[in-house]
Amino acid sequence: MKRRIFLASAASALAGCGPIGSALNNSAQVRNILASAEGLNRLVIGTRGLAREYRDRDVDREFRVNGFATPSDASYQELVARGFAPYRLVVDGAVDRPAAFTLAQLQRMPQQTQITRHDCVEGWSAIGKWSGVRLSDVLDATGIRSDARYVVFRCMDNDGQGNLYYESLDLHQANHPQALLALRLNDAPLDPDHGAPVRLRVPTQLGYKSAKWVARIEVAGSFAKIAGGMGGYWEDQGYEWYAGI
Amino acid sequence: MKVAPNRLVYRYALLTRASHWIWVVAFAVLIGSGLQIFNASPNLDASDKSDPARRVLAIGSPGDGVGTTTVFGRTFVTTGWLGWTDDGMGSKGARAFPASVIIPGYQDLADGRRWHLFFAWVAGVCWLAWLISAAVKGSLREMVLLPSDVPKLWPMQAYYLKLRKEPPPHGIYNPLQKAAYTSIMLAIAPLVVLTGLALSPGIDAIANPLTVAFGGRQFARLWHFAGMLLLIGFFAIHTFQVATQGFFNQMRSMITGWYRAS
Repeated sequence: MKRRIFLASAASALAGCGPIGSALNNSAQVRNILASAEGLNRLVIGTRGLAREYRDRDVDREFRVNGFATPSDASYQELVARGFAPYRLVVDGAVDRPAAFTLAQLQRMPQQTQITRHDCVEGWSAIGKWSGVRLSDVLDATGIRSDARYVVFRCMDNDGQGNLYYESLDLHQANHPQALLALRLNDAPLDPDHGAPVRLRVPTQLGYKSAKWVARIEVAGSFAKIAGGMGGYWEDQGYEWYAGI
Repeated sequence: MKVAPNRLVYRYALLTRASHWIWVVAFAVLIGSGLQIFNASPNLDASDKSDPARRVLAIGSPGDGVGTTTVFGRTFVTTGWLGWTDDGMGSKGARAFPASVIIPGYQDLADGRRWHLFFAWVAGVCWLAWLISAAVKGSLREMVLLPSDVPKLWPMQAYYLKLRKEPPPHGIYNPLQKAAYTSIMLAIAPLVVLTGLALSPGIDAIANPLTVAFGGRQFARLWHFAGMLLLIGFFAIHTFQVATQGFFNQMRSMITGWYRAS
């Protein structure tokens, strides 16, 4: 008898996990407690080491297209039609010398190639060969003011409701040797679906950090006043700002 | 250790009892939120990157109203259970694991990750504290299943099933208990923790040999899932054993620490 009661209660406890979790999930206090793990992960794991680099034969020739739809507005169409000649990568905010780089200027800077794995938060991964300019080289060119804390990437794609994609890194992450402004994928110029003409690559963190269609790099003391204030489009939807795990 | 019959012995230290019940909660949350995370990409590949050619498990919905589960290339219709399941909001849809077993109980990868990563810390810290304490106090030695205990496993179960009058001679923990402690604390728990770490890009950058040891990121995700299945298998056997081996005595000992020795 006792056994039957026990087994029945165990079974109902397991079946009740989902609904109970949902109820707790809506409590602000519970959410704050759960969110504390992010700080711990950032502290313990942080941004150290280098992402593994692969061989040419490991590359996914058909690199998976993910994220928002390729921008379809007239100004992006014009950029594509004109081979991105009018494109400027604006770097401003807490920098010494605000700048607007043409694609040709970026192509003339020292290029880095990395064959790295893109780890999506959804759980899948793909390997691509990325070439472009180190983010730190661009930031060195403009200089960073002492009040700068974050590097915010403003993008051209939106979620279909007019909210533009954006992401952010702290200065330590931005100066990581593999943080790359990629101009090429798999030995060809980035195509529109993969974020042309410039996308970010942050192989030590989950894929949502690697913003596509970057139009502007805004160096800032804080991202609290940008969009939802959490430092990125997906962060505003509840995902962790620290995306190393 | 020899104890007189029908004497209460103080068998579980406070830390052990507290950890045990914290783990019950933590593992339930970790499994539910883990299935939520799995649902975001319901495939498991035996490779570093995603590779359909090396797909071991795929749960999907080839069309409205149909759920399928493909294991090692063999497809089973699992409508209602896997692939096409309830969405937690009153209707059914394409969803690997049903909303009733995921945390939170509707599709929400962001929150599922928050629950998972928080309770991973809870379970991990608890495990480490227990392990260090048990090692320092020396009780770990009494819990580890040794090769000499293996032949006593069935006689012990036979005793509980009343197929045998006397239990085989054993120390403070009987051979079945040793098997349980050893498998969960020293095999399954480390496997689940290490494979979970190995599939994170930040850990991969710090400790790449760990990810490589499990066959890469997707393979680590497969091992992590397999560890979850072992965990559920452990629960099933463990609750069966508790239920058949003096339920009251077992529950009391894990709540108060006092166990009536036979």
